[in-house]
Amino acid sequence: MQKLLFAGVIWLLSYGGLLAQSTASHVSGTIRTNTGEPLPGANVVLKNQTKGATTDAEGHFTLEARAGDEVVISAIGYQTTPVKIGSTSTLTVTLQESASQLSEVVVVGYGTQDRKNLVGSVSQVNAEEIKNRPVASFDQQLQGRAAGVQVAANTGVPGDGIFFRIRGTTSINASNDPLYVVDGVFVNNLSLQKITTQGQSNNPLADINPADIESISILKDAEATAIYGARAANGVVLITTKRGSYNSKTKVTLNASVGQAWAPKLWDLVTGPEHATIINEAWVNDGKPAATRPFRPVSEGGRGLPEEQPTYDRLSDIFRTGALQNYDVAVSGGTKQTRFYLGGGYTSQQATLRTNDFSRASFKLNLDQDITDKIRIGTSNIFSQSNRTNARVGDGPQGGILQAALHTPTYLPKFNTDGTYAKWAGFDNLDVLINNTDMHSTSTRYIGNIYGEYDILSNLKFRSSWSIDYNDYNEYEYWNTLTNRGSASKGLATSSVSKNTIWINEQTLSYRQTFGSLHTVGVLAGNTFQGNVSTQTLAQGTNFPSDAFKQIASASVTTSSSNRNQYNLASFFGRIDYNFARKYFFEASLRADASSKFAQGHRWGYFPSAGVAWQLKQENFLRDATFLSDLKIRASVGWTGNQNGIDNYASRGLWGGGNNYQDNPGTVPVQLANPELKWETTRQTNVGLNVGLFNNRIGLEINAYSKYTYDLLLQVPLAQSSGFASIYRNDGEISNRGLEFAINSLNFNKSGFQWNTSFNIASNVNRIERLSIPVDASYATERMAEGQPFHAFFVYKQLYVDPKTGDAVYEDVNKDGQITVADKQFYGSALPKLFGGLNNTFSYKGFDLSVFFNFSSGNKVFNNNRFFHESGGTRDDRRAINKNQLNRWQKEGDITDVPRVMTIGNNYNLSPTSRFVEDGSFIRLNSVVFGYTIPKAILSKVGISSARVYYNGSNLWLVSKYQGPDPEVNVTGNPTTQGYDLGTPPQPRTAQFGLNLTL
Amino acid sequence: MRNTFKLIPFLLLFTGCQKFLDVQPELQVDESQAITNASTAEAAVNGLYNRLGSDGYYGSNYPSLSYLSGGDIQWTGSQSAPQEITSRKLTADNGYVGSAWQAIYRTILQANYLLETVPALTDPQLTADRKAQIQGEAYALRALSYFDLVRGWGGVQLILKPTYTPSDNTGITRSSVDDTYAQVLKDLTAAEPLLGTTTNRNKVTRKTVWALRSRYHLYRQEWEQAETYASKLIDDATNYKLAKPYNAFFANNAAATSESIFEIAYTNSFKNGHYNWWLPPALSGRREWAPNANLVTLLNNPNVGGNRKELIAQTAPPGNLWYGKLYYRTPLGTDPAYVIRIAELYLIRAEARAQLGKTTTALADLNAVRDRAGVPLAQASTKDALLLAIEAERQVEFPFETDRWFNLVRTGRVAAVLGITDANKYVLPIPNSEILADKALTQNKGY
Repeated sequence: MQKLLFAGVIWLLSYGGLLAQSTASHVSGTIRTNTGEPLPGANVVLKNQTKGATTDAEGHFTLEARAGDEVVISAIGYQTTPVKIGSTSTLTVTLQESASQLSEVVVVGYGTQDRKNLVGSVSQVNAEEIKNRPVASFDQQLQGRAAGVQVAANTGVPGDGIFFRIRGTTSINASNDPLYVVDGVFVNNLSLQKITTQGQSNNPLADINPADIESISILKDAEATAIYGARAANGVVLITTKRGSYNSKTKVTLNASVGQAWAPKLWDLVTGPEHATIINEAWVNDGKPAATRPFRPVSEGGRGLPEEQPTYDRLSDIFRTGALQNYDVAVSGGTKQTRFYLGGGYTSQQATLRTNDFSRASFKLNLDQDITDKIRIGTSNIFSQSNRTNARVGDGPQGGILQAALHTPTYLPKFNTDGTYAKWAGFDNLDVLINNTDMHSTSTRYIGNIYGEYDILSNLKFRSSWSIDYNDYNEYEYWNTLTNRGSASKGLATSSVSKNTIWINEQTLSYRQTFGSLHTVGVLAGNTFQGNVSTQTLAQGTNFPSDAFKQIASASVTTSSSNRNQYNLASFFGRIDYNFARKYFFEASLRADASSKFAQGHRWGYFPSAGVAWQLKQENFLRDATFLSDLKIRASVGWTGNQNGIDNYASRGLWGGGNNYQDNPGTVPVQLANPELKWETTRQTNVGLNVGLFNNRIGLEINAYSKYTYDLLLQVPLAQSSGFASIYRNDGEISNRGLEFAINSLNFNKSGFQWNTSFNIASNVNRIERLSIPVDASYATERMAEGQPFHAFFVYKQLYVDPKTGDAVYEDVNKDGQITVADKQFYGSALPKLFGGLNNTFSYKGFDLSVFFNFSSGNKVFNNNRFFHESGGTRDDRRAINKNQLNRWQKEGDITDVPRVMTIGNNYNLSPTSRFVEDGSFIRLNSVVFGYTIPKAILSKVGISSARVYYNGSNLWLVSKYQGPDPEVNVTGNPTTQGYDLGTPPQPRTAQFGLNLTL
Repeated sequence: MRNTFKLIPFLLLFTGCQKFLDVQPELQVDESQAITNASTAEAAVNGLYNRLGSDGYYGSNYPSLSYLSGGDIQWTGSQSAPQEITSRKLTADNGYVGSAWQAIYRTILQANYLLETVPALTDPQLTADRKAQIQGEAYALRALSYFDLVRGWGGVQLILKPTYTPSDNTGITRSSVDDTYAQVLKDLTAAEPLLGTTTNRNKVTRKTVWALRSRYHLYRQEWEQAETYASKLIDDATNYKLAKPYNAFFANNAAATSESIFEIAYTNSFKNGHYNWWLPPALSGRREWAPNANLVTLLNNPNVGGNRKELIAQTAPPGNLWYGKLYYRTPLGTDPAYVIRIAELYLIRAEARAQLGKTTTALADLNAVRDRAGVPLAQASTKDALLLAIEAERQVEFPFETDRWFNLVRTGRVAAVLGITDANKYVLPIPNSEILADKALTQNKGY
């Protein structure tokens, strides 16, 4: 192998230039589909070169080539077909529709690759397949679509944050999100939101209209990701947006859909009389005299008898049927030198939970222009504006709209005796919130780049690009005097403007050459400079003249602040790939990155990778195995890094201002220096197998991987006696080991009936291998500790409820006869053991149907709503009670896991306990699409080239043992906590009708 | 193998990169620029008061540990931490205990920084007098911090130097209760001569140190000194007197009245967290806790609470829920936090005198406080009766301040009054996270 490589390099140096100079002649031809129609927009490229042509509207192309050259013809939806140019200079080629994705062209880092020739582990998703789910962002649409990619929404509010993990969680305090690259631009996916919605945060990826996306490539193993070095430890998601085709007629496509969203299931709360009964029972169980029980006749000074209590249903007030609408229009086309894509879209999604909605207007322009046949320029642009109407959804009573509905005891009235709004238990009055919540934000986003390409030689290309990701996030909240937040301060308003700018300059030089007929070598070298500047201005005003004044200019008490921070990255990278006879593949890459976040001497990180693949189908001994169309084994190893998500100045010793006294400026120490801080590094090995059967009607991919992350960037807790809470240090190691399995098959294809199945399933075993000290998550119910998986719940374990006494019995781990913090134990993790998706599509004579399930198994959820709802009377008139509380122990012999109600003792005073750690496994009928394509014969009369009408339902069925409405929840956008359910609305169920038109 | 890769970054570009990669923070400054001259030293002094008044310390958590434990406040909210405290089922991972611990040691760090850096400053703008004052303030507030630690947790680790690196101040074991108190006295003694005898109710002066010493000696049962230091303030009648009626020291936005010896001032740029826990939703709070029925009865009793009933009020019907309104003002969070008031010095002196057998003057001190509250004068004539009367008086005089629990622990009356017999529970647990983070630290018994 090494000899071959050496030989390849020698040839490259001595003959590469000469070969390219050989005389050439014109070859022209026609590409047709298997129905005989001309195929416009197909790419005809000389094998292993960049030189190529695109077919025009009649399927014609012309190309400079020599006899004996091989051209590769590819088009989306068709099998990529290589053709040898014979003695004639005219070709006619028929492309077969591709049966599965195995023959597709896959987008990889800084290039594309035939799936057949892939060495790395890459999942590619066609955007067309996933766009049907009416959510705000493409990342949520990826749920269940790619093996090893775990996607979970935090809430049912469109545009809120998404939990997205490729092959597990690798970091505690640095980011666990993948690197997102849109048309070569590294885009920001960290929320700029500053005005709190009680833990939730917006998803910046919702600024991108999914309709503009052509394909999404998910790079998983180190071989595929290491070219992105320092930011690739959590995988890379490459988004390719739609572009026009050269030599094609201008095409106009329209898509419109309208629909509704509603909450399929809500919480079961007790009635007023039931609530009162529980409270009275707890009173008596506490050993207090029944005569003074809280719910006794009003005449005796009580709150009235239980049966006299009314019941108010606040949940029905707060949930609604939300309206959904989506419109996209796109115009695309091209001439011989130019291709363009112009798109516009508008989407509007009302959440099922009142006052939350999301809308986005977007604009897209992609343009490529040949200046000469050696020089090309182009641009990609996304411009969008996302508007959100927010509410406080999540933790904290004040202004919390769902909490006010869900946690206010059902027997408590909405109005005081004097007719004013009644407010209970720290909550706002729900009617007040519904009518007066005034929180909104506008995200203005531009993602774009310009590039120039120069073909120095036919096999050597130089490319330079400048890119920008600019995001302006503008938020406003106004709390008038009816709301709790605004009542005492006579109105309270906050305005926040956050701006984030990423600029990137990148150069690449790429070379590809085949030597002889067997050796193909590709070389890539490049560098990147990237700057990231974020600024924020915040103003707050209180004491307004009246509720009619809402802008801070009218407030009499105002405060304001501003902030700016920045980091820079410099990178150099290179890759070499080689294959022998398309049988043996070898690739190696190296990226060197430097980050301003680290002190001098520790800035540079070096991230190498190497991979090999063996295409067995090309071997003689398998040539006759006709049932087998593809058989490839792959192996790779590499190192990738992480520094995202940590503070920009994490290595420095810092003092901060704003710690004032009597309005004089004050300063305090805020961070200890660690000049030794360096990159967090993940080593990943991967072995994979690809099998294609029966002309790729069945495609199978299996991967096994092992990721090991070390030098974790951790905020190590310090003894508080030092005066500091923590210090950034490289401490800890985490492993992720997993198996991924994906299968695509064309089950049936006869007499116009087609049935496809794709299925993927993955397991990931996460383990914190080393950690010098346990670290609590942002919600301390979860703890990170050596030997445990991430997101492990750390609780008191309730063994049983004693049938004799009705008291909960907890495990006394250290057997010291009492229950103390030493008796807490790990009890499951929020991470699933298995997850994946199953999609079936059927088509018959213009009808199409797709049925898609996704599932998650083995993940636990901490049901904190239940913790509040089943507090055994300790929370008396402050929290609602749920139906499950009625299953409490009442008399000797009762077998239940709900202890007798009382406000003293450990039954309901100990927290957190395992009673509220629930199985969050689920299977969800994620989406069903049923469409009908109107026959061409009818359409051609009215000048329409294609038209399809469809119905689309999402989240139609959910199977889960979880007691809350939906196990796919999380109270916070903070990445250390997952699977913690408190005051978040469930995923909506939706139904939509739509129309696709092409003119 | 991997080391050879380090040669790869192209050397020519390296120098340009260096500059590109040097990005300076703008929001915060490097520690080397923190305390360098007069103005930065003053900023750090403001930071010291800010730490003292932060949410974790006098801004709400520390006082709440005392009054929530004291049996007169009921938990009426949703958080587990105050639930644990009011029901005296404290665990070592109680969030309020952890926050208070953290905030007090942060105050100590700030004081240590000032004590280490200010003497070495050579800025002519910083006069010798002001230098001395700053050190005096730092010593006094460090003393208060250790006093608050020792009465809460027992003997603690004595950290007397700033932390510059994570290895500083490690491996220090807990001092005994006596040694911790000795450090308090040492710091108070050091502070006294450095400070002027001016009257400033929002900053530490020599008079503040006297008041803290009076309280210190009371806790140490050094009755003569407690009496002497209390008298230094009480005798200064032009500057310190009982505000009459009781609510004159807090109602109608009153601040820094002659009642106050030391109160922390809050403004819009530095807020007191107390209101949020006490006020009901209609007044922008969450009423996480409230006076219980017993305390409401006592305060409303004209013979017990008198005009101290102004401390509480009720929500609109049909709720009619009682709430505390010592912290109430708008803009929200601008209520002062009361560290020590002249009323406490009267009651300290009353107790000291009772212990010393000076029953007549002891009764007079007690009745000064009762008179101000508009309740009938006490008649107690024996030492024991006086001590009980003083205890009862403190209960209604400081119900929402840092007193009740620590006072009962100090006098050994917790078991008798609150029925808590497990003496291990008379101190707070060391936060469990600290035990994990610090091998030299040991947990209190029973947690």
